Amino acid sequence: MILRPARERVWRGRVKVQPMKQIVAVGDMKVGRDGDILVTHALGSCLGLVVYDPVAKVGGLLHAMLPLSRINLQKAESHPYMFVDRGVPLLFKAVYQMGGQKQRLIVKATGCGSPLGKNAMFKIGERNYKVLRKLLEKNNVALHAEDVGGTDSRTVHVDLSSGKTIIRIKEKRKEL
Amino acid sequence: MKRPSEEDIISRIDAFPNIPSAAAKILSLLDDPDTSAEQIGEILRYDPGLTANLLKLTNSSYFGLPSKVGSVNQALVLLGWKKLAQLILSACTTAVMAKPVPGYDLQPGELWRHSIAVSVVAEGLSRELGVTGVDEIFTAALLHDVGKLVLGDFIRDNTSSIDDESLREVSFEKVEQRLFGIDHAEIGARILSNWSFPETIITAVRWHHDPDAADPPNNLIDVVHIANVLCLMIGIGIGREGLQYTPSEAATRRLGLKGEQLEIVAAQAMGWVEELSESFSVHFEEEF
Repeated sequence: MILRPARERVWRGRVKVQPMKQIVAVGDMKVGRDGDILVTHALGSCLGLVVYDPVAKVGGLLHAMLPLSRINLQKAESHPYMFVDRGVPLLFKAVYQMGGQKQRLIVKATGCGSPLGKNAMFKIGERNYKVLRKLLEKNNVALHAEDVGGTDSRTVHVDLSSGKTIIRIKEKRKEL
Repeated sequence: MKRPSEEDIISRIDAFPNIPSAAAKILSLLDDPDTSAEQIGEILRYDPGLTANLLKLTNSSYFGLPSKVGSVNQALVLLGWKKLAQLILSACTTAVMAKPVPGYDLQPGELWRHSIAVSVVAEGLSRELGVTGVDEIFTAALLHDVGKLVLGDFIRDNTSSIDDESLREVSFEKVEQRLFGIDHAEIGARILSNWSFPETIITAVRWHHDPDAADPPNNLIDVVHIANVLCLMIGIGIGREGLQYTPSEAATRRLGLKGEQLEIVAAQAMGWVEELSESFSVHFEEEF
C-alpha cells in the first residue's frame, strides 16, 4: 500500500507539518516518503525488515510471520506479506516504484526471536532470518544493520525523513 | 519495593471478582447432558445482554453455521449442549479478560485478544492433529492467563528484579515462582477453582506452561501449551516477558506434532481471530 506524502495542516493559524504515522500489522507491509513514520509492534518470531533510500527519502517496513509461503498457497496469494519469501521481494519492488534505487538502499532487519529451549520446531524466527539472508544474498543486497534473535518483544519505529530506525524493547530504545 | 509474600498474593486471589451468576449456574449444569433449552433460557432470561452476546458469538463467521441463529433453542440444536455451554462461559468471562494488565505491559484488550487467539489456535491445532475428546479446550484456552490479572500488579512493582540479567534464560513462570512463590498459571487455576470450574479446565490452566508436570499429562493441556507459545511468537498478547517461555519437547512428541503443522496453523491464526473477535461486544478501557 502506497502512502500519501505528509500533508500541511493549518493549526491555530500556523502551518504545521503533520507526519503521517502508519501502523504495519502482522503479515503486512507499508511504504512511504519523507515525513512519514512507519511503526510495527510486538515482533516476536516475526521478521521486521526496513528498506530506505536516503536520497529519494522513500522506504518501507515489512512485518512477516513465516519463512516460506509453500505451506499455504492460498494465503500466499491473499496475504503475501505474511511470508518472508513473498514479502521481501514485494517490499523492495514497492520501494523501487516510489523512486528508490537498489544501489542506494539501506536495509535493516529485526525481530526473528525464539522461545527458550532447544525445540527446533519453535525456531520459526531463526528460519525467518535464514530465508531473509538467502534472499538478500541471491539479489546482491547487503544487510546494513540487524538486531535479531533472543526472547524480546520489539517495536520498530522508522522515520522516513532520515531513515532513523528505533527499536524499543520494554522501556529501552536504541537506534538500529 | 518490598517483595510480596505468597499470602499477600493468595489474599488477592480470594478477593478476585466472582463470575456472573449466569456462568455459575451454567457450570452447575455442565455435566448434565440432558440440559434443556428451557433450563438455559431460564438462566439467561435475567441477562439480556449476555443472551445477545451469546447469539452474536454463535453467529460469528468463525463457527460457520449454515443459517443465522436467532434463539437459544436453535443454538442448542445446532451446537449441542457442551459447545453451547462453553460459549456461554466465554461470553460471561469476556469482560474480565478485556481488562488491561499492568506489569506484563498488555494494553487494554491485548490479553483478551491473546485469549481469543489461543482458543482458536488450540482448536485449529486439535483439528490439524485429529485430537478428539477435548470439548473444554476453547474455555480452557480462553481463561489460561486469568492469573495475570492478579500477578500483574506485583510484577509491575518488581520490574527491576524481574528484568535481572541472570534470569533471562529462565522460563518466565519459573521467574515468577522464584520471586513470588507462585506463578500466574497456578493463580489462574485457583481463581477458576474458586469459581467452581470443572477440574479439566483448572488443570489445563495450572499446567499451561509446564504440561509435563501434570499428573498425568493430557492432550488438552499439551495443545493449550503449544497454542499459547505459538500466539506469543506471532505477537498476539506478547508482553514484557517476550518469548521467555520453554515449549515442551515431550508435549510435541505426545501429540505427534510436526513443524509444518505448527506453521500451517500459524498461517491461519490471524484470520480465525478476526472472524471470532468481530462478534464479541467488548468495551476496552481507553488509555488517556
